[in-house]
Amino acid sequence: MIFIMAWRNIWRNKMRSIIIMSSIAIGLFAGISVLALYKGMMKSRIRNVIDSEVGHLQIHNIDFKKDYDPQFILANGAEVLKSVRDIPEVKLAASRSITMGMLATPTGSAGVQINGISPDLEYQLSQLEKKIIQGKPFDPKKKNEIMVGRKLAQKMKLKLRSKLVLTFTDTSGNMVSGAFRVNAIYQSDNAPLDEKNIYVGIGELNTLLGIQNAFHEIVILLKRDADVKKVQQQLQQKFPACQIESWKEISPETDLLVKTVDQYSYIIMFIIMFSLAFGIVNTMLMAILERTREIGMMVALGTNHVRIFLMIFLETIFLTLGGMPVGLFIAWLATAYFNKHGLDLSGMGREMMSSFGFGTMIYPEFPTDKVIGVLLIVAGTAFVSCLLPAIKALKLRPVEALRR
Amino acid sequence: MNTVIDAHNVSKVYNRETVPVYAINNVHLHIEKGEFAALVGPSGSGKTTLLNLIGGLDKPDTGSVFINELDITKLSANKLIDFRLKNIGFVFQSFNLIPVLTAKENVELIMQLQGIEKSVRDVRVQQLFRQIEMSDKMDVRPAQLSGGQQQRVAVARALASRPKFVLADEPTANLDSKSAFNLLDIMTKLNKEEHITFLFSTHDQRVIERARRIITLVDGRIVSDTAAVSTRHEKADV
Ligand SMILES: Nc1ncnc2c1ncn2[C@@H]1O[C@H](COP(=O)(O)OP(=O)(O)OP(=O)(O)O)[C@@H](O)[C@H]1O
Ligand SMILES: [Mg+2]
Repeated sequence: MIFIMAWRNIWRNKMRSIIIMSSIAIGLFAGISVLALYKGMMKSRIRNVIDSEVGHLQIHNIDFKKDYDPQFILANGAEVLKSVRDIPEVKLAASRSITMGMLATPTGSAGVQINGISPDLEYQLSQLEKKIIQGKPFDPKKKNEIMVGRKLAQKMKLKLRSKLVLTFTDTSGNMVSGAFRVNAIYQSDNAPLDEKNIYVGIGELNTLLGIQNAFHEIVILLKRDADVKKVQQQLQQKFPACQIESWKEISPETDLLVKTVDQYSYIIMFIIMFSLAFGIVNTMLMAILERTREIGMMVALGTNHVRIFLMIFLETIFLTLGGMPVGLFIAWLATAYFNKHGLDLSGMGREMMSSFGFGTMIYPEFPTDKVIGVLLIVAGTAFVSCLLPAIKALKLRPVEALRR
Repeated sequence: MNTVIDAHNVSKVYNRETVPVYAINNVHLHIEKGEFAALVGPSGSGKTTLLNLIGGLDKPDTGSVFINELDITKLSANKLIDFRLKNIGFVFQSFNLIPVLTAKENVELIMQLQGIEKSVRDVRVQQLFRQIEMSDKMDVRPAQLSGGQQQRVAVARALASRPKFVLADEPTANLDSKSAFNLLDIMTKLNKEEHITFLFSTHDQRVIERARRIITLVDGRIVSDTAAVSTRHEKADV
């Protein structure tokens, strides 16, 4: 009966209840949309990291990453590469030679990371070919071709066909340099990386470095994201002398970003609900005030405090949860739509997005994993909001309430 | 012992700090089981205050109120709520019913609060609505009932818990004559047939005529307490 009363009570002032429910629905919709956007962004960031930046796993000589000293080649690289390719979970594995060096043009110079790659594999591994915005991919018939990022090209005033000189130390510690000609300018979603990484053929780099049939890095792409840990352990057992890192270790900022954003999501939800709580409290206080006499009478007749509290608690819950399904549903619809068609954020500026490593097309995703958390926050809001009105109601003295 | 209400030396003072108002001043009152007593007196004489003290809605400043030999002034607030639920039926002047509940639900609520099971409740509700002659209006919300009908439902509700007695503060004050008589008829009938004890306050001469005992309050004191001369109504009955 208390349940029925609570339910009917919220419909006594339909307009007021509907306004509160709608504001909760809208708040929930807004909150979930933000979460969905975040989730979409994080997913695409992770995809970028894995599919076009670092792959799932990388293998190096244990000493290599300390200084990027080119003498620390991957021992028995060819064998390791072969056995990596034999692992069924592995989709693709490619080798790279890497060194740090100086890029010089007649007008200036810049420090860069020189990546020696096998173009065909690299195109699949890091989508390098798709990132080209000017020029053509590597031509197997031509020598000393180089691909530079747009950001670096701008800074160094490089154009297609521009000549430049790379200078670095070889494996024996001698300074070497080679002349290259820009065949393509690329642009990824990660501007800071574009500024740093340049690509040349692995054969040419190795010749300059003075290494034969060797390399510094194996990049591995798996068939499924979920296998990272498993394959990493497997490789670590097999090649204990190598450093085997997952994308989370290579790009810890991405992992941190995802975790931070997860926390932000809850904070945003909390702030939205907190502001809605004021509306709920206000509505309930008004409802209690209007029903002073009635509640006083219930107490006079022998309704105990627990039941009065329960009634007000239920009313608050109904009021709060009433708007919830609607809010959830609209949020779900909207995310489903934008998940399919994408949300173009280029209005915010490609520069800005890419400087954080994000693309401009976002595919928001309904944050199913957070729904429980959100529901708990909403329920908590209802509970907290009911306390003040309930205390108010419990303080009513029947004699005074009945005099009204 | 057939004493249901025994108020002893009861006083209630308002505004003790500023201008004290002796709303109830040294009142002694005994009500026996089966009585049909009217509390009369001018406005401000303390009728409501006395009923509130007897009904355990308020505490006296001095004195004790015994209900069936239990001093209710010694009960804690929570115990008192429970005591009222189980022992006292209340009828107020107006807006007695909970608007979101139907007539039937209003009556049933009290029994549900007492923890009486559904089947028993149903039988009792049917019986009560027959007694107030409103079996056809059970599923109607209070807003669709006339003032007199609402008061009758309030009487049914007061009886639902099978209380020791029923307190009614000016139950007919907002009713036209016809409804007032109708309500009184029902109350008298319940008093006669079921020996329900009624103590009610009133201004209304028509109501006073029906009472079998008239207690008159003036300025918080009982100035007269008389057994009424048998009324025409009773004569006709006998
Ligand atoms: N809460 C209160 N604070 C101060 N004075 C009060 C309070 N309640 C009642 N009184 C005073 O106590 C006296 C008795 O009031 P009470 O309401 O009991 O009279 P009553 O006989 O019921 O009057 P009426 O016939 O108008 O209903 C009055 O003088 C009233 O002003
Ligand atoms: Mg009064």
